[in-house]
Amino acid sequence: MIKSTRRDFLKYSAAAGAALGTAGLSNLALADEVLKVGAVYVSPISEIGWTKQHSLGVDAIKAAMGNKVEVTTIDSIFKPQDAERVFREMASNGNKLIFGTSFSHGTPMQKVAPRFPKVAFEHCSGIRHMKNLGTFEAKYFEGTYVAGVAAGHMSKSAKIGFIGGFPIPDIVGPANALLLGAQSVNPDMTCSVIFLNSWFDPGKEKEAANTLISQGCDIICSMTDTATGVQVAGEKGAWSIGYASDMAKFGNGKHLTAFTLDWSSVYVSAAKAVAAGTWKTSERWQGLADGVVTMSPLNSALPADAVAQVTKAQKDIVAGTLHPFAGEIKDQAGKVRAAAGATLSTGDIRGINWFVNGVVGKLG
Amino acid sequence: MSLQIERRAEPSSLMRVAAPLIATLLTLVVSSIMFALIGHNPLDTLFAFFVAPLLSMNGLSEWLLKASPLILIACGLAIGFRANVWNIGAEGQLVVGAIAASGVGLFYPDPESPLLLPLMFLAGMAGGMAWAAVPAFLRARMNTNEILVTLMMTYIATLLLSLLVHGPWRDPDGFNYPQTALLPNAAMFSYFDATYRLNTSIFITVIAVVAMWFFTERSFFGYKMSVGGAAPLAARYAGFKESGSVWLGLLISGGVAGIAGMAEASGPLGQLSAQISPGYGFAAIIVAFIGRLNAFGIVLGGLLLSLLYLGGEAVQLSMGLPSAVTSIFQGMLLFFLLASDFLIFYRIGRPVAAQGGT
Amino acid sequence: MNPRLELRDISKRYPGVVANDQVSLSVMPGEIHAVLGENGAGKSTLMKIIYGAIGADEGEMVFDGTPIAAHGPAVSRALGIEMVYQHFALFESVSVVENIALCVSGPFDLAGLSVQVRDVSEKYGLPIDPHRLVHDLSVGERQRVEIVRCLLQDPKLLILDEPTSVLTPQAVAKLFETLRQLASEGCSLLYISHKLDEVQALCDTATVLRNGRVTGTAEPKKSTPTKLARMMVGADLPETHHGKAITSGKPKLSVKGLMTSADDQFGIGLKNISFDVFGGEIVGIAGVSGNGQAELVSCLSGETPTKTAHVITLDGADVGQMDAGHRRRLGLAFVPEERLGRGAVPPHHLSDNAMLTGHRLGMVKNGMINRGAANAYASDIMQKYNVKANGHEAVASSLSGGNLQKFIVGREIELAPHVLIVSQPTWGVDVGAAAFVRQALIDLSRSGAAVLVVSEELDELFEICDRLLVICQGEISPSVDRADTDVEEIGLLMTGLNTPSSVAPSGGISR
Repeated sequence: MIKSTRRDFLKYSAAAGAALGTAGLSNLALADEVLKVGAVYVSPISEIGWTKQHSLGVDAIKAAMGNKVEVTTIDSIFKPQDAERVFREMASNGNKLIFGTSFSHGTPMQKVAPRFPKVAFEHCSGIRHMKNLGTFEAKYFEGTYVAGVAAGHMSKSAKIGFIGGFPIPDIVGPANALLLGAQSVNPDMTCSVIFLNSWFDPGKEKEAANTLISQGCDIICSMTDTATGVQVAGEKGAWSIGYASDMAKFGNGKHLTAFTLDWSSVYVSAAKAVAAGTWKTSERWQGLADGVVTMSPLNSALPADAVAQVTKAQKDIVAGTLHPFAGEIKDQAGKVRAAAGATLSTGDIRGINWFVNGVVGKLG
Repeated sequence: MSLQIERRAEPSSLMRVAAPLIATLLTLVVSSIMFALIGHNPLDTLFAFFVAPLLSMNGLSEWLLKASPLILIACGLAIGFRANVWNIGAEGQLVVGAIAASGVGLFYPDPESPLLLPLMFLAGMAGGMAWAAVPAFLRARMNTNEILVTLMMTYIATLLLSLLVHGPWRDPDGFNYPQTALLPNAAMFSYFDATYRLNTSIFITVIAVVAMWFFTERSFFGYKMSVGGAAPLAARYAGFKESGSVWLGLLISGGVAGIAGMAEASGPLGQLSAQISPGYGFAAIIVAFIGRLNAFGIVLGGLLLSLLYLGGEAVQLSMGLPSAVTSIFQGMLLFFLLASDFLIFYRIGRPVAAQGGT
Repeated sequence: MNPRLELRDISKRYPGVVANDQVSLSVMPGEIHAVLGENGAGKSTLMKIIYGAIGADEGEMVFDGTPIAAHGPAVSRALGIEMVYQHFALFESVSVVENIALCVSGPFDLAGLSVQVRDVSEKYGLPIDPHRLVHDLSVGERQRVEIVRCLLQDPKLLILDEPTSVLTPQAVAKLFETLRQLASEGCSLLYISHKLDEVQALCDTATVLRNGRVTGTAEPKKSTPTKLARMMVGADLPETHHGKAITSGKPKLSVKGLMTSADDQFGIGLKNISFDVFGGEIVGIAGVSGNGQAELVSCLSGETPTKTAHVITLDGADVGQMDAGHRRRLGLAFVPEERLGRGAVPPHHLSDNAMLTGHRLGMVKNGMINRGAANAYASDIMQKYNVKANGHEAVASSLSGGNLQKFIVGREIELAPHVLIVSQPTWGVDVGAAAFVRQALIDLSRSGAAVLVVSEELDELFEICDRLLVICQGEISPSVDRADTDVEEIGLLMTGLNTPSSVAPSGGISR
């Protein structure tokens, strides 16, 4: 019996740093062969939402590469035990590029990648990257900041309700930026936060939205895999902010805007690089400027000055002249986290585990 | 011509064998029609579902890896079910077992100690037992319905897990994601071959199956429990105490579920996360009944259910079948299997032949 | 004239057994026709076929000259075939008329129906108040409800399955009057029984079944019990032999002032019951069912332990608070009235069922079962007590009632108990086997054991008991020696008419 080697990936990740910048996996070049690409979704592909946006990325690969690519997908893989099996299966079936689309795919991918050094793995929401495991992520907080500006204009109660799947940095950061955007218009704004501990639980989400609205929140933003928050807000006459997809048609006319995700460029460039033999591991973190985060059309109820300010915020972020996490930023306890004139570092944002002043709620 | 249903004087031994075959045949026929209707070749689909996953060593390893906890838990549950002790909360006992075992694994002062794994085993078992002891006490002393209590205890267990992995036990380097740090190497079961995920915890299941067979078929206590299950009045008549069955049924099934939870943490997961169980505690109830509460039947049931999971993934991957269709197929097979049991105890025939003097 | 009902070569097979083999019989209008046979002879199967509850494999049924095509209970009701089952299917918590309304077709008209019920019950001498709740009725009254229900349908053929098994001798006489009146009006009656005296008193013709085949027809009034019995059993009836009772000096089982409260509204509370049973004798408890027998027996067996220990003593030890297992270790054995589900586990093999109480006889070592010993014990009982079954692997529920009863009685007797309590020892057991069981009980008592028999069959009690007690409304009468009493006196005690209120039912009954 051979002793466990499951920790090998730690060695690999150490090595990965050194390997960065050196040659990519050039031995992956496939010349004229058909490239096999696999994608593992965390939930079923529905009309809108997280998984839908990833499936659009996969579709973009097909559109770009036609018969030079063969795509295999599987949905509803969430539990780490199942995910590890599926990644192994895909890697041993000749897929040369495999996408994981959930944070919970991380540990399994880190275990599987070292066993298939000739396969390129791309992990969305990933944190740890390795020699053949790249990570990509969106700067959701840029989108929520812009949406927050709109919210600051439209909220009468000065209270935003935010529903998150899990209290991970990729949700905590956007929640903070949403409030910072709103406070840029109205410094008295607050934001109540509820975590569902699930990406997909419409029942719980509905309950959460109702609770927030009954507490006086008149803006609802929900970072989960459903349109439930938008729907409940529409029914109760509260404004809503959509996430991942444009959710205007669920909002009953109360959909302010949505910060949507477009992964096409990430998917297509990775597939082309693998086909050309030039893929190498990298850590991507892209936002409005790269088109990975986009804003859906604004609600026509927004007054002209609000539209102007929202548009300006968006332009400034793209131009790099506005940073959502520019100081001074205080946390809930009043401690200064970014001094005036400074901004939070990339590492701080990617690992953020505190709320800004004005957020009502706790992490997990 | 209408048909009539009659109870058989004696359960049909022919049907015991034939019923699963009939069920399989019906599933094949109905599913073939379904696959054909959505434009897939039925034969290819069935091959991809049932055969292809088992053609590689990795497939076999995954098959056993998934079947093992199902069989292990079902063995424990069946002992209780035979005595009318309805532990529906193995999922919660699994979770608590995993919590207790991981607690030992994470905080034991010497993370390299060879004692770590055995200690985690004991902790997992004790955790599951403790969780099952609550409904056992309530039923034995206050005649509370254990179906409800065990189910409710499952919610509590899940929330307890959630509390721990979101709070005190959260991996400080884990970016707030609800999971603990990885368990040390000494806390893990060994692999047979580093290429495959199957680990030595399968031996626990093997031992459990033999022990369960021995307990139910050969031990006097097992006999007393089955009397209590099949005819409570007869148990009282013979002077067998019900509370003994309740305690034993719940403690065994709880302990075994706790061990299964420990084996997940010390096996394929390697850490405690909010998603410790892919529903094994509930799926094992199905396994116990497919296996007719019999040790070797449970082995077959566990292998079947595990294959259904793997096959469901396989046809998604290789044929592009939607996961909804594979779920329908899985449900259909289980339905036919359990429904065909009817034929063992009843027969369907023509009604009265008392007519025409020919 | 066409026969009312004619059966031609009816056959019905179950796996491993032929329940009916080419049975033919014919019933004329107004005829009271007995179907006589031991238990397991196929009587009940035949009646269910006639009623359409189960289908025959072969054969033909002709009703009033017309063959019955597709049969079923609905067809029966349309033709005018009605059946009074041995075990009533009445809802206890609703009234008589509501129960009947559930069974009759037509609009739901309780007022009209209660008028009809009253008319019919007066006409046939079956007095019954349509508005009483069924749980208040005695067993005899409940049977009247069933009969009235059938009569309301204006039956042409009425099937009665062992109707007297729950009645006092007086009630039996009354029932026979009603049945004779019905027959005189042209209704045909099929009367199922294994009691020869009743058949001789009531029936015009008898068809005798044995092992599913017709072994003969007879005119009971002109025949003798011996001839009828020979047709039923295929041999002459064995007789029981009594030795003289030599009783122990101290009682083996003693009950002193046992009181219980009724645990539900349909139960009976026991009122200050006291009696002794000595080694070497058989004491019988007579009574119409539902007068506290079930409660008493369950207190004695330990299935319902009593509040205080000293009210029941076993060989001098206070056992009132012990459970059944404890008392069994002290030498008690018990045959309950319910065979399936209490005396035996229905889905278990006979060898497992032998172990239920026989496990003390070396079948368990270090917590492990010795299969061989259990099998041997089961086979031994089957052989000694002539249990017809498919080996010790047969499941209990596959046995006929009589065969299972023999198995359970055998199992308990073979435990060689100091005290044996038996409820309905030969209930549903065929004549030949009943005699055997009775002899076994006598032999056990003569070997020094105390035997307590609770039975509703007076003939049986008179045949085997040394002393008799009567239970009525939870009270027990003083004991009388069998030689000093007769059926008439006991029958009156059973109805409660003759309970001598002057005799305190407490203590002092030991001889």
